Amino acid sequence: MKKPVISGNTISIPSNQEFLADVDLFIEGVLRGYEIDESVIADIAISVSELVNNAICHGNKSEFEQSVKVCLKWINRKVEIYVSDHGNGFKFESIDSPIADENLMKEVGRGLFIVKSLMDSVDFKITPEGTTVVITKAIQ
Amino acid sequence: MKLSDRVQDGIIILQPKGKIMGGPDASLLHTKLHECIENDQKKVIIDLGQVDWMNSTGLGILISSYTSLRNSGGELKLAQVTDKIQSLLIITKLVSVFDSFDSVEEAIKAFK
Repeated sequence: MKKPVISGNTISIPSNQEFLADVDLFIEGVLRGYEIDESVIADIAISVSELVNNAICHGNKSEFEQSVKVCLKWINRKVEIYVSDHGNGFKFESIDSPIADENLMKEVGRGLFIVKSLMDSVDFKITPEGTTVVITKAIQ
Repeated sequence: MKLSDRVQDGIIILQPKGKIMGGPDASLLHTKLHECIENDQKKVIIDLGQVDWMNSTGLGILISSYTSLRNSGGELKLAQVTDKIQSLLIITKLVSVFDSFDSVEEAIKAFK
């Protein structure tokens, strides 16, 4: 894969941050089709950008040929988004709290904290093939 | 993201526009800020009024800018922080770090 591929409600990209904007364009475009409040769309878009960043840099170690897949599902007034990479996952509990005094001025380490704050749920599925993070957001 | 810059009363005003989410666009702001420091322009306002949203990469750039300026004897102020970015600053407790102003003019006055 050398460029983003879209199929239905799924987009796959090579592991390079230059494609973050493609994922955002895709996700926001799909969500606008469901008449969702712009603020909620932004929260979801922010969360997806965090997870795709993590998938590229940590999951796939920025190996261009390794893909990141983002799939969006709409179930009973709830958006579910799956972000998959080829990495071995990690222990969320092992991540330092970014709001602890000693970490407040660090430039990195807030991504998943922000996702957990903005989304209704965040779950991790780790298999031998890779890691999938599933986020959900109820739509009023 | 697009980035414009201007000088007013000896203060650099950087105005990013769009979304700050990482990748090549985000490095624009980081690079420009360090150019300012190298050119001894150390009073900087980042006008966030045209930023739709930012993620943790954007917050990291703000922290890097704040720290770099402070370490070189300069100062960073934020102007026109949108509700979406303000909520992220509150969630991450960074609201206590940055000086924020409702307008660029108020931020300029605060430098004097």
